[in-house]
Amino acid sequence: MTRGSRVAGVGILTGWGEGVAALPADARAAAGGRAVVPLGRPALDGERFRRATRECLLGVEAVNVTLRDAAIDRASIRGDRTALLFVTAGAYGPSNAEFIVTETAGAGRTEGGQAQARRGSAGTLHFPYTAPSALSGEVAIEFGLTGAYVILIGGAPATVDALWQASRLLASGRCDQALVLAIETFAECEALWRRARWTLPAPLVEAAACALLVAADVAPVYRAAATDAGALAADVEARAGRTLTASPLVALGLARAAGGGVVRVGGAWRGRTAAIELATAGRAARV
Amino acid sequence: MVTPLGLDLDTFWSGLIGGGDALTAIERFRTDDLRVGRGGEIKKLPAVAAGVRSRASALLVGAAADLRARARLGAAEDRIAVVVGTALGGVEEIEHALAGDDSPRRVLDGLYDAPAHALADWLGVRGPVLTVSAACASGATALGIGADLLREGAADLVVAGGYDVLCRFVLRGFDVLRALTRERVRPFDRRRSGLLLGEAAGLLLLARERDARGPRLGRLRGHGSASDASHVAAPDPGGRGLEAAIRAALAEADVAPGDLDFVSAHGTGTPLNDRIETAVLRRVLGPRASAIPVNSIKGALGHTMGAAAALEAIMCLLAAREGLIPPTVGYEEPDPACDLDYVPGGCRPARPRLMLSTSLGFGGCNAALVLEGVR
Repeated sequence: MTRGSRVAGVGILTGWGEGVAALPADARAAAGGRAVVPLGRPALDGERFRRATRECLLGVEAVNVTLRDAAIDRASIRGDRTALLFVTAGAYGPSNAEFIVTETAGAGRTEGGQAQARRGSAGTLHFPYTAPSALSGEVAIEFGLTGAYVILIGGAPATVDALWQASRLLASGRCDQALVLAIETFAECEALWRRARWTLPAPLVEAAACALLVAADVAPVYRAAATDAGALAADVEARAGRTLTASPLVALGLARAAGGGVVRVGGAWRGRTAAIELATAGRAARV
Repeated sequence: MVTPLGLDLDTFWSGLIGGGDALTAIERFRTDDLRVGRGGEIKKLPAVAAGVRSRASALLVGAAADLRARARLGAAEDRIAVVVGTALGGVEEIEHALAGDDSPRRVLDGLYDAPAHALADWLGVRGPVLTVSAACASGATALGIGADLLREGAADLVVAGGYDVLCRFVLRGFDVLRALTRERVRPFDRRRSGLLLGEAAGLLLLARERDARGPRLGRLRGHGSASDASHVAAPDPGGRGLEAAIRAALAEADVAPGDLDFVSAHGTGTPLNDRIETAVLRRVLGPRASAIPVNSIKGALGHTMGAAAALEAIMCLLAAREGLIPPTVGYEEPDPACDLDYVPGGCRPARPRLMLSTSLGFGGCNAALVLEGVR
């Protein structure tokens, strides 16, 4: 039995572009006063994606980017030996708001009409997409992931918890590899997020990020209640902006681009700080 | 716990063994434009929850008050974690926010992790706070992760369980899906025609075996989860994910399927779920399948979503302690496709030791728990 895990690939999509190379030096300056830096809807082919939400497509595309980064193909992750751990703070918000506006309230619009205008009429097909698990469910279907399955809600500490759970699953032999996927979208509910601005300084940067973990002999150090998220967390916020659950994965991407090693990633949310120290392969390394 | 059957553990249990049915006309919000306006609604919240901002948080606070009356939180406040599961979080607050209430608090309370933090604040604990949202399998995964936190040494005590509110958002959603029945909820019955929703919160206090003080209800021996990768809103027709979750839980518990004494099924009362679940249980349990009692408490409470697995785990442990298995309320006529022993009629004298609880949810979520009761 192995003792832990190693990060073998990281895929990053943010409002700034693909990969950590696209991050500006100063997110606030680059945002130019925008409250939200959005991500576009990925252009994925296939009838199955015709009704899929933007959030679902971002999740699929983040996994695609991760597989390219790890230099492995789809077949390598298909099946019950790959665990999927999904985290988000609010990517279910657009679907929730749309359903409320078009179906539950029966009238009215969100501020600025964003939700109503987003996809037109909602209905029977739409309600299941209000569940956070619909986002990860679409990713699981697309890649045929039938292994262990965990969904956590929160900010960056939830991602730390997911990285820890992934490592536990690997160490116990429940899986051979684990995908930790974070998705954050803000544009459709920008008006709602603006109301909570006192806890969320600008800019909010949309992101879909994923890390591929594989079994290794290096045990991670999980600090469920940390006093310090690590230097990388501050660097990520300065360069990427507020990406909430995606931020620890962006930190892993930065570490991987810098050559890897054991890195501490983490973050704070609602008064809790959590961190994890993980072995991360440099980009030249292969799984 | 706080449930439509009663606002504490004792009334919940007496309601279950008495074959109670808490499914009534919904009074708290408008339903006249929906096909179905019944559910497991809690008509009056516990007094301790007065002043709590959201109903979801109020349910958790009510359940926590009941828990604290029965068990002491004997650990440093920063060593006590909270892990709760939910399908809906504080979504009702988003309904209010979109209806014109522009308080910043409404938005933050509408995020799905808000009630867990409200619970931690009410308890005065400062350990890790985690929210699981694996749809209707959330409560089971929350209990499993709570146990993992203890094994990891990340906490000394964990308050774990699940909750969800019955609100217009979710009732409308299931209504448009045509998943709700206009008749009685009848899990595994030939005439079953759908589910009804309920609201509840159920919490357990988890401790490491060596640290446990005072009377114990039982042990969480194992948990497992798996994805269907089949459909966003429907279970895999072959039940592959559920079977994988059960086998993972049994493996972690080091329990052979044939050693199980009782199964608390997800048993929603929908034609598809109950048939798939029966087939999976028959495959996993093997030759002893017909001899192992299987119940569903959703005919009494409705489907309480994120709370369901926590309530069902508590029911299992009480069954072991009290020597009674609650009946499947609403089950009367056998279905050839559902051919297990569903505990018809009334509660059954039995003292199960090893028990399995199963859960399924939107997004292809499946989870299972293996529990050991204290006889």
